[in-house]
Amino acid sequence: MTAYVLRRLVQMLPVLLLASFAIFAMLYAVPGGPVAVIVGENASQEEIAAAIQRHGLDRPMVVQYLDWLGRALTGDFGLSLHSRQPVLQLIGERLPATAQLALAAIFIALVLGIPVAIASAVKPNSWLDRVLSGWSALALGVPTFWVGILLILVFAVELRWLPSASRHVPFWEAPLDALRSLALPALTLGVYVSGILARFLRASLIGESRSDYVRTARAKGVPESRVVGLHIMRNALLPFVTIVGLMMANFIGGAVVTEAVFTYPGLGRLLIQAISTRDYPLIQGCILVILVAYMLINLSVDVLYAWIDPRIEYR
Amino acid sequence: MTGLAAAGRLLRRLLTRRGAALSLAFLVLVACTALFAGFLPLDPLRQSIADSLKPPSLENWFGTDELGRDILARVVYGARTSLATAFGAVFIAALVGVPVGLVAGFYGDWRDSVLMRCIDVLLALPNILFAMALIAVLGRSQGAALVAVGVAGIPSFARIARAQVMALRPLDFVTAVRGFGGGPGYIMFRTILPNALSPLVVQAIVLASIAILLEAALSFLGVGVPPPTPSWGEMLRTGKSYLYEAPTYAVLPGIVLTLTILSFDTIGRALTALIDRDETDAVRETAGGRR
Repeated sequence: MTAYVLRRLVQMLPVLLLASFAIFAMLYAVPGGPVAVIVGENASQEEIAAAIQRHGLDRPMVVQYLDWLGRALTGDFGLSLHSRQPVLQLIGERLPATAQLALAAIFIALVLGIPVAIASAVKPNSWLDRVLSGWSALALGVPTFWVGILLILVFAVELRWLPSASRHVPFWEAPLDALRSLALPALTLGVYVSGILARFLRASLIGESRSDYVRTARAKGVPESRVVGLHIMRNALLPFVTIVGLMMANFIGGAVVTEAVFTYPGLGRLLIQAISTRDYPLIQGCILVILVAYMLINLSVDVLYAWIDPRIEYR
Repeated sequence: MTGLAAAGRLLRRLLTRRGAALSLAFLVLVACTALFAGFLPLDPLRQSIADSLKPPSLENWFGTDELGRDILARVVYGARTSLATAFGAVFIAALVGVPVGLVAGFYGDWRDSVLMRCIDVLLALPNILFAMALIAVLGRSQGAALVAVGVAGIPSFARIARAQVMALRPLDFVTAVRGFGGGPGYIMFRTILPNALSPLVVQAIVLASIAILLEAALSFLGVGVPPPTPSWGEMLRTGKSYLYEAPTYAVLPGIVLTLTILSFDTIGRALTALIDRDETDAVRETAGGRR
């Protein structure tokens, strides 16, 4: 198992290298490129030439990339063009906020999604199933940012229970404050993810419930709760986990948008700010960190497999 | 049966499903108002600061925005932006994705591996992230949003086209065309593609809903279609700043956006179900129940 995880980690390297090169190439292909941002709009020809010289921007792109890569490997992602702070430090400040939001959203998604899936899969095509399927279609189809706006309208503007803009409060420092701040963004993202979970877990549960071993279990007189909870659930989780892994991309996209709705100080908002100010080193850093996070999540999903289904061998 | 007659028959069967019929009616309404907006007494750009942030009234059904512009007019003209971006994006995605999938599936050799690895790389990036990176390069414009959303849709077309080619290539009618001397290009585009159209068309409809959502999300984040062009996402972005003064500002455009996305999704899923059933029936008929 350890060997498998290690090998998967090693396999991530070429993809990361390729992706980092692609991002680097894309951003440096911009007309004007970073120089325009460094020297400002009204710079003279001499100032532009000096900036190009100083930052080594006249070297071939591959040389510049290798230079950047060499420094990135030692943890130096360069300085933000605007705040002049190290990119890694800026990202490090935002990462805990995004992680906290993600965990809270996943918690809400599981609490909402799994019961909905089970309730609708137990009696497919019943009225309950139709209502719940409609609900998961809504959770998936309604734009996350609009859900966020509606939640703000109800809970912040009308009821005044919760703040409309969220701060990041570390959970272990002030749990109640953290929950107040986190409630709306986590609910927004969590409802969306619960739609994904419910739709695919339902399909997977219904597929499994038609298998022979389920009929056998029922024929033996195994109580229905045990049949669903133990027999069907365990086997249905497998295809479901694959889908959840694939859906992680949507989750990350949803997190970026949710952070924007609630002006939540996470990684997604940092990236949007970086893009609107054309802060190239910061854009590169953010995208790479998000990509690494995405790949690590996918890896943990695969590792979950082994835990759920011991039949799978890792070679 | 000609393609047109088959499409008509499919449409009639689609209309027997209540959800799909309602969705289609809504989309026709949105598309018509967007197309003929010029004939309606609506001006999305006329400002009147004195009338800013008015609630819905008989004069302004959806109220007015922070510059006193009519929100309904902006929703109608925003439909143009959204639908044009979505259709343009789906077109780009199909234009690149379908040939990639056809070639990969038809040859199945190194070309398949190379093309599909590229598609995997595209799939590895969350599509909103990819679109944002692309816009960072191209600069913020409607064209950039269109390309960004379109490129994000390439993988799904490529995968479906590839699967279709691999399923159809060994069949007799393809072998027959090959026997008559049909070259690879002819077989791919004139023989296989016309027979693989239905899943691709369904995919186009599903992708349209994703494209509208993605364009709205980009505009909401402030990196999509630049103002003053009306866009649904941009309206929600601005409306969010006036939730206390004019709550309907962010709610009404959001309803139209959501209904549009849900309508495309509903029709796409209904068509998938119909075509799946047709294929199951066809298999039963030709194979006498064997699969």
